[in-house]
Amino acid sequence: MTQFDALCANDPELSELRTAIREFLAADREEHGWEPAVDSWLARWDADFSARLADAGFVGLTIPTEYGGRGLGHLHRYVVTEELLAQGAPVAAHWFADRQFAPSLLSYGSDEQRQEFLPVIAAGRLHAAIGMSEHDAGSDLAAVKTRATQVDGGWSLSGTKVWTSGAHLAQRIVVLARTSPLDPDHRHAGFSQFFVKLDSSGITIDPIVQMGGDHHFNEVTFDDVFVPDADVLGSIGDGWRQVTSELGFERSGPERILSTVTLISAVIKALPDDTDDGTAAAVGDLVARMISLRQLSISVARTLAGGEDAATRAAMVKDLGTRFEQDSVELAADLLDRVDRRTPEAAQLAELLAVARLHSPLFTLRGGTNEVLRGVVARGMGVR
Amino acid sequence: MNELEQLVADIGGRALEARQGRAAFPDAFDEQLWRNLEETGLSRLISSEDAGPAEAAVVLAGLAGHAAAVPIAETDLLATWLAARAGVEVPESGPLTVALADAELRDGTLRGTAHDVPWPHSSAVVLAARTADGLHVGLLTDGPTAESINLAGEPRGTFAFEVGADTTTSLDAQIADELTRRGAWARCVQIIGALDAARDLTVTHTSERIQFGRPLAKFQAVQHSLAEMAGEIERARAATQLAITAATDYGFDSAATDYAVTVAKVATGRAVESVTTIAHQLHGAIGATVEHRLWLFTMRARSWVDDFGTTMHHARRLGRLALAADDPWQVVVSCPEPR
Repeated sequence: MTQFDALCANDPELSELRTAIREFLAADREEHGWEPAVDSWLARWDADFSARLADAGFVGLTIPTEYGGRGLGHLHRYVVTEELLAQGAPVAAHWFADRQFAPSLLSYGSDEQRQEFLPVIAAGRLHAAIGMSEHDAGSDLAAVKTRATQVDGGWSLSGTKVWTSGAHLAQRIVVLARTSPLDPDHRHAGFSQFFVKLDSSGITIDPIVQMGGDHHFNEVTFDDVFVPDADVLGSIGDGWRQVTSELGFERSGPERILSTVTLISAVIKALPDDTDDGTAAAVGDLVARMISLRQLSISVARTLAGGEDAATRAAMVKDLGTRFEQDSVELAADLLDRVDRRTPEAAQLAELLAVARLHSPLFTLRGGTNEVLRGVVARGMGVR
Repeated sequence: MNELEQLVADIGGRALEARQGRAAFPDAFDEQLWRNLEETGLSRLISSEDAGPAEAAVVLAGLAGHAAAVPIAETDLLATWLAARAGVEVPESGPLTVALADAELRDGTLRGTAHDVPWPHSSAVVLAARTADGLHVGLLTDGPTAESINLAGEPRGTFAFEVGADTTTSLDAQIADELTRRGAWARCVQIIGALDAARDLTVTHTSERIQFGRPLAKFQAVQHSLAEMAGEIERARAATQLAITAATDYGFDSAATDYAVTVAKVATGRAVESVTTIAHQLHGAIGATVEHRLWLFTMRARSWVDDFGTTMHHARRLGRLALAADDPWQVVVSCPEPR
């Protein structure tokens, strides 16, 4: 194995895994007929696909084998994730459980919780939503007002969460709530996390429909919802640290670069072979941005996998990567101008482009706005 | 910092301090620095086979980060290597350079003009004349026919030459490609060094300069510009690291290195645009004067972008690779086989 292959996340073991997931996806698509989508990790929910993917061994890769996972490393997960995104596969159903909830359980979960949930996550059959943002707590997450008060045998949860992707389809939601009143001198203290059943009594789920008519976001209202002690995630009062400590992987992952990759690949494929020099240079520019971002993203993943800190560079990946995703939409549109509009590919491309345009404002918002991320980078540079 | 990085930083730092007393423009060859590089063995590090591309990159980036006025890439990575390949003898010490040109071979005479030859008054100028049937390598004994400077004031020369083909060695045209690749590789590494220095100067300046009663760096708009600058550099560094690694693993004469250098040249080229713009914006007008150091780095980076193939040239090459691929995603993931 060469270091070059390692930097490309392509050393023999990863390369083998890459081939395996590609073969699975090609065969699955052939049989089940899903179409590559833009922004599939947010927008394409397909519980059957998630189950098939897991049955083939491609979900829960970093979950230890004793809990039904594959017991592999973060880079293995990286490779599978990027291939899923590159093919625009419908991964939304298991996405948050696999990306967020599984690592949280492994770090903070009780043994009973791990036994109960990790095997279901690895089986691709746990669908979870994330309840973080609120009407008055967007970029300023510490302004969360949802509160949990202790009652006999558990907690009573009240408040309203917004932008919870897939809450209308999911079984559980991870809720960040205040368990002690706000201390203005220690705003990050007094938070806790709860893993709440979405069919609990007292929960109302209302759709938030996107421009273009899509529904994946929701407003979730909790009105004295009883949460048993067994569903407290981690330690009471430690919620802020639990939520923020593993942001590195989330911020630097392939989904911060590749939300539009299906559009980019399709438009490049549709261009004629004898395309002019100017267009070739535009393609090269686009591809160079992608490759260099992916290199940065992998380099952060390797640092994190080695147990070292990469918070500043992870924030950079998300800032640069999501801006690239946004820019790529109009760059692809410019390239599309060179594609013969009468071909079936052109019609398909126009559809991908339309979805990309509708989704692109969200790229630089979700999971922490770019303004917040640049603040993180500035702090890392010692000026803030 | 490892030992080599520390050594380069020490030598480079002293040279940068010594600049204070020198005329700022145009730039002149730094003899004292060159002596120090020769004494420490850094001037011919990779060509003496004591070290590989990774070590060469440390020297190139470290010296660029101190605006070293010496042809280190030209000597160590290009001229010495090319002369050795061709069996052409060059002085064992002193700075060297390469004059790369398209030439015409008629009646046993090579005619052509090499433009923008860096450091044209080096101890030896190795001619690399590309003709229809290969690469002719020899020595140019006359001085430049015209002289100029690049944006940073570094000397550049034009050599209109007419030499007997029998005084040159004929090599495969592929060697010319490798020469260009080595040059582009070196410029990417040097650009990263220069951009790092520009960023450090900008952080320092905005932390010290007080306006409206507080340091500029306390303004959020300024912080965001600093973050953008740092991000662009890290992205370019990641691409350049892949090129360094490719050269270490596969050598400069490989498809993997060709791929990675092509990517890195585009990535660094694009980074230079935004990083130099932000660095100058945040410095205010003082940053665009000869008395301030900033331009030593921004204008070197800006000039180097155009050396050994422009950003557009490399973007076009990468674009053609992606257009020819069955699946463009494969070009993103790695260098297409065979390597």
